[in-house]
Amino acid sequence: MGKPKVSSDWMAGCAGCHMSLLDMDERIAKIIELVDLRSTPITDLKVPDATGVDVGILEGGVNNTANEEVALRMRSRCKILVALGDCAVFGGVPAMRNFFTIEESLRRAYIETESTDDSGKIPNDPELCVPTKVRALQEVVPVDVFVPGCPPDADTIFYVLSELAQGRIPDMKGDKLDWH
Amino acid sequence: MVTVTIDGKKIEVSEGTTVLRAAQSAGINIPTLCDHPYLTPYGGCRLCLVEVEGARTLQPSCTLPVSNNMVVKTDTQKVLDARKFVLTLIFSERNHFCPYCQVSGGDCELQNSAYHEGMTHWPLQPNWQPYPMDASHPYIILENNRCILCRRCVRACGELVGNYTLGFEERGANSLLVADTGVVLGESSCISCGTCVQVCPTGALIDRWSAYRGHDEQAIDTQTICVGCSIGCGINVFTRDNNLLRIDGNWDAPVNEGVICEIGRFKPMNEKCDRLVTPMIRKNGSLKATTWEEALKVTSSELKSHKGKKGDGIAAMISTRQSIETISHFKGLFSEGLGSELVTTTEEGAFTESAAKVAGSLGKAFEGKLIDMLDADSFMVLGTDLVKDHQVAGFFIKRVIGNGPRLLVLDAEENPLSLLANKALKNKKNTFEDAINALSAAVVKLGLTKEKTSIKATDLDGFATKTGLKSEDYLDAAYVIATQKPMIVYEKGVSAAALKDFAQLIGAKLISVKGKANSLAASQFGLEKPVKLGAHKALVVVLGDDEISQKMIKDFEKVPFKVVIASSSSALTAMADVVLPAANWLEQEGHYLSLDGRLQKANRCLTPATEVRSTDAILLALAETTGIKLNNDWTTELHHRVAATEIVN
Repeated sequence: MGKPKVSSDWMAGCAGCHMSLLDMDERIAKIIELVDLRSTPITDLKVPDATGVDVGILEGGVNNTANEEVALRMRSRCKILVALGDCAVFGGVPAMRNFFTIEESLRRAYIETESTDDSGKIPNDPELCVPTKVRALQEVVPVDVFVPGCPPDADTIFYVLSELAQGRIPDMKGDKLDWH
Repeated sequence: MVTVTIDGKKIEVSEGTTVLRAAQSAGINIPTLCDHPYLTPYGGCRLCLVEVEGARTLQPSCTLPVSNNMVVKTDTQKVLDARKFVLTLIFSERNHFCPYCQVSGGDCELQNSAYHEGMTHWPLQPNWQPYPMDASHPYIILENNRCILCRRCVRACGELVGNYTLGFEERGANSLLVADTGVVLGESSCISCGTCVQVCPTGALIDRWSAYRGHDEQAIDTQTICVGCSIGCGINVFTRDNNLLRIDGNWDAPVNEGVICEIGRFKPMNEKCDRLVTPMIRKNGSLKATTWEEALKVTSSELKSHKGKKGDGIAAMISTRQSIETISHFKGLFSEGLGSELVTTTEEGAFTESAAKVAGSLGKAFEGKLIDMLDADSFMVLGTDLVKDHQVAGFFIKRVIGNGPRLLVLDAEENPLSLLANKALKNKKNTFEDAINALSAAVVKLGLTKEKTSIKATDLDGFATKTGLKSEDYLDAAYVIATQKPMIVYEKGVSAAALKDFAQLIGAKLISVKGKANSLAASQFGLEKPVKLGAHKALVVVLGDDEISQKMIKDFEKVPFKVVIASSSSALTAMADVVLPAANWLEQEGHYLSLDGRLQKANRCLTPATEVRSTDAILLALAETTGIKLNNDWTTELHHRVAATEIVN
């Protein structure tokens, strides 16, 4: 058996969880030794192999149809799906906008912000994805491993990856649990 | 006693004990959220479910009393699954956004419970229904999105404080924490004691000041006492990097058992004062910063020139917020060392003199203890506003009168407690003695006396008329107060001598609320003289962080040389010739004697600015510069005369 293939992607998040992944410093070299890192949003290859990977990691909540596609694609191509960070696990900061209607949120973002002048308008190109209510990843596809945190600690991510790399499901408890 | 087996452990507890308390007494941890050791069990959160042998379903351990030979299991898979399910439901009910909640990361009992049960996510997502948030209160923010409906705040507001401001409207998922009849907190009957914030297990009720300024584990928790009034409540002061974060009531303090008032909890954070940070001397008409050395030298040489003079020498005054050590050194320095005649407090003995005289003539203490309040079956509140000052004493009364004890209020002023009283009398000003005599006569007339008295029933009309009230009023009042275990609370302006006789007549316990934190100690040191400045040539005021009346400040103007030892600038420091910067109550330590004679130590919680010294250190330095040796033993003098209430350590 070869090294397990790992892919990651991000959705409605801030990229902070991937930054936290990089925060594990030289330990990342150890992870690379253990796994075959396929696609990530911060490397050249962006899309997981159509032939499938062993571990898929998703950061961010699902807040539009494009995110849905990312989630469904990753789920269909990976054996173990990891929800990385509070947004993927709970909805996180983006989910705050669930308190408002999508129209209200769009109006606020594109027309009413203090830095927008009179020409502000809500984009309506038919090619654009459609915004939806913000959902946790598990509301869209089944999730196997939850790694909460905003962002999860680099140590926690290292633990999760090294367990997965060695074919074990990480046991998230004690100081590994930190929802922030 | 009954025997119960919990997780295979045989435990013997008294009948009526709940399963939860029995388990806790044996060191078995059952997670809870709505339970609080100082509140009545409620059974709202269901996190404490346990398996009881023979019971059809899981039982809430917090409301289930043990029965003999009961067998309880707290760690079966069924129980663990139920806990996770209960937490799942709680999380899905409202909107718990941990990343931006003030208590997330250690201070949230809900989050900690989830960690404890190993929850990595919410099996049921919330439906994102927004709940209202209320930021109308000056100190407290109510965020209903984080409320778990445990009702600890509601119980604390009613059971501990007796204020009954908080309550719930609607039912089920629509239940909403509201104040009064649904007004915002800032416009409600809330008295800002903050007990609700202290008991809230989540971030639903937080205080503005400490919010987002650090978790409890990052803060230093100093156990000390509040010096906001003479009650001496136990408090926990949370500081971080020498900044005051928060003050909590100390649940273990026998004086207040966790409850404190606005003055103790929020006032210290919201004090807007201009702190003095360097000694100052008046030069060419204006105050100029100087060194401690020079300031002390100037003060000492001027004071020495008035040493021993009577009537035109040194007048010295100290705030009763200062520690016993400071008061003792103050007296030693000015009374014995510099031979001043006028050595007194800024209270001038107004709150204590009358009671001290009675104790002196009786040769023994005659006042009771604050804790007796919780046991009393009727109260008479005389001439004191327990809603404004000495609030915790007011809480005790409000707390118990809901359960039956009666309340009589007698005051020449408007008294807010009148609203809750069974009988409220408003007598003419300066007629307390007549009013007490009228009450005595009424008690005699009704045959409710427990002792003999010279006052006759026929005197009632005469006394009543003098107070501007009717005889019937006093007869009603007598019925309210002449019970098995009455308690009388009074303040200055009421003659302790007259009251003592009345208390004896009906077998009542008596307690005077006195003045500021060390009112009673100052009285024990005999610092009770009224301030008559006359021809005094020098004046020293040890004010610390206290305030002083405008009238007094005006009186001080005519004294040629004035030294003020104070924490912040005021009209008084503006007219002083020497200003010495002093620490505030949190920056110094010392002993205090509470209104019911409890000797307690206040600990230092903060470090003052470099040039700021404790009032005690300033007096010691002044004594040294002046060449006077001070005695450090204050315990002897504290017991020098008979106190109105027994002094206990």
